[in-house]
Amino acid sequence: MNRHQHDPSCHEALDLIEPYVDGDLSADEASRLRSHLERCVSCAAELELATRIQSELRALPELDCPPEVLEKVRRAGRGEVVPFVPRSRTTGLRIAAAAAMLTLTLGGGALFLSLQRQPAQPSPEEIAQATQEAKIALAYLGKVTRRASMDLREDVLQKRLIEPAARGVSRSLGGPQKLEKER
Amino acid sequence: MLTAFEDTAQRYRSRVYSFARYLLSNREEAEDVTQEVLLRLWRHQQGVDEERLGAWLLRVTRNACYDLLRKRRSDGTLAASSSLDDDEAREVASAEPDPQALAEGSDFRRRLMAALSDLGEPYKSIVILREVQGLPHREIGEALGIPEVTVRVHLHRGRRKLRERLREVPQS
Repeated sequence: MNRHQHDPSCHEALDLIEPYVDGDLSADEASRLRSHLERCVSCAAELELATRIQSELRALPELDCPPEVLEKVRRAGRGEVVPFVPRSRTTGLRIAAAAAMLTLTLGGGALFLSLQRQPAQPSPEEIAQATQEAKIALAYLGKVTRRASMDLREDVLQKRLIEPAARGVSRSLGGPQKLEKER
Repeated sequence: MLTAFEDTAQRYRSRVYSFARYLLSNREEAEDVTQEVLLRLWRHQQGVDEERLGAWLLRVTRNACYDLLRKRRSDGTLAASSSLDDDEAREVASAEPDPQALAEGSDFRRRLMAALSDLGEPYKSIVILREVQGLPHREIGEALGIPEVTVRVHLHRGRRKLRERLREVPQS
């Protein structure tokens, strides 16, 4: 067990080391600490470590700000660019999540309406087609998720998710009429 | 001739950037924060007292860094870095002029940076502002909204925590 835990004077000394390094102790406190350090190798080592930590921290450089940062601020301040758009590593994920929510909402609505209007069970062909479309949608969402760091263009979302979903809704709404015609 | 903004930005940009970079341990995020802070300066400079400008900038910087750190945690997509990124490590290492001293000190410094990165608040901000950036206690107190004596107490506790963390490190 560490000897500091059994030696009250060591406890006190360990509390005083950082203020001592900073010169924040009174003359009396500093003197008592120094006399303790002369006879305690362990606390003397702690003082050495504390001193080294401070000198290493003080040796760390002030890091230079890249000049382009200030240039971006100037341009943003003049309104030349959209003011400050932070880099986001989750933008793609959020768009994909929003697209998935949209698809599920539209698809769910379409399914609900279809069930309301179609008492009959769907045919095996319709089930197969719906399954295939679901697989394509899931595969696309998976691909989008993997490419989360890349920007998604709105037209891609429009063509691959929103428009197919809208067509699905449209088909579902027109489904009973189609069935009526077929009969 | 420099405008008032240019003059202030030139004077404070590296202080803001450096504080953000040591707090976040991430170069890109530190650049983003610096942009955000300087843009706020651009917009609000007239309303900030010249004497308190430095403290105001540091407070805004710290708040912006906190927002990012909270976002990291809530997103769960970018774990808080526990050490320097590569560029930062190179810059920090280049501060050591003697190659032999660099070799001997690099392991200790790397561990120190990891311990600093893991240090909780407000200790981390205070240790960076005081020991790395060399700001006076009074200015740190103004920036963080705490009395000067509290800055000293937190500084001592912060460095003591670093010492306790580094105590097991072999001293070679």
